[in-house]
Amino acid sequence: MERITNMQSFGSGSVDCGHVTNSFNKTITLNNNTITVSKTEDEDNQIKQWLSPLEPRHRHQSVQTNRVKGVGDWLFERREFREWSGSQGVSKPRVLFCYGDPGVGKTHIRSVIKVTREGGHD
Amino acid sequence: MVAGLYCDYLAHEEQSATNMLGTILKQLFERGGIPESLRQAFRKEKSGFGGRALQLLGLVKILKMTIRSLPEVFICIDGLDECLPKNRRELLESLQDIVRASAITRVFLSGRPHIRDEVKSHFARGFMVFITPTIKDIERYLEMRLDKDATPHAMDDSLRIEIMSVIPRKISQMYLETAPSAK
Repeated sequence: MERITNMQSFGSGSVDCGHVTNSFNKTITLNNNTITVSKTEDEDNQIKQWLSPLEPRHRHQSVQTNRVKGVGDWLFERREFREWSGSQGVSKPRVLFCYGDPGVGKTHIRSVIKVTREGGHD
Repeated sequence: MVAGLYCDYLAHEEQSATNMLGTILKQLFERGGIPESLRQAFRKEKSGFGGRALQLLGLVKILKMTIRSLPEVFICIDGLDECLPKNRRELLESLQDIVRASAITRVFLSGRPHIRDEVKSHFARGFMVFITPTIKDIERYLEMRLDKDATPHAMDDSLRIEIMSVIPRKISQMYLETAPSAK
């Protein structure tokens, strides 16, 4: 948008040499800004790649959509789960390990933790 | 903040402890943006010998630092049995380190029964919960499947009632028979 305004001032502007040079410099500065912005984005991506090439998002979404409402909810009533999710502090047990055979719904539990803690935003 | 990942036996190569914890870290700064300290660390590495890969210890240090700036953190790792034993050991050791350093961090882990003792050896005081579907769970699942039946005209009420009364019982018996004895 800003650059378009600049272009217009080019067209309608006077033939004054100083004015033209001024606009020209402005455009350069704007272009530099654009370059800087994309450089930061580029660095962000590089940092993310540096941290890890893994992208776990997609599977969470598919798990969430395949989830049957209410299944596995008994876990959230269990003493272990309640103590774990409500406990903060160095002396409290802060690790919960759920184990079971494939297909019993272990993976769904995390989706539920995410939804209850973050209000469903992903 | 809830950050997590699923281990996948198809991705053994990529799922090193460093990559897994790196994914967690990426999720933690998703909202607040990349912290300046991390950016500096990255630039320093990059300017070195052609950009060195991030080391596990350095990553754990950055993770602990990032967690310190957050009010509450849940780290969830599913399918722990699916990653290589070496990666799993490194991952569990790192999580142990993180949990010790931060009182606001909670860890949720899931996996098949055979790794229970291994997890217990790292987190002696952790909660160990055996997961098995309840009859109610199986009923809910069946109801959903019957509602989505592609050929509903082949189903009448009596067949539906029969399915709903027989299958959940059979399945839960099956699970009871395969359940490991309680320790």
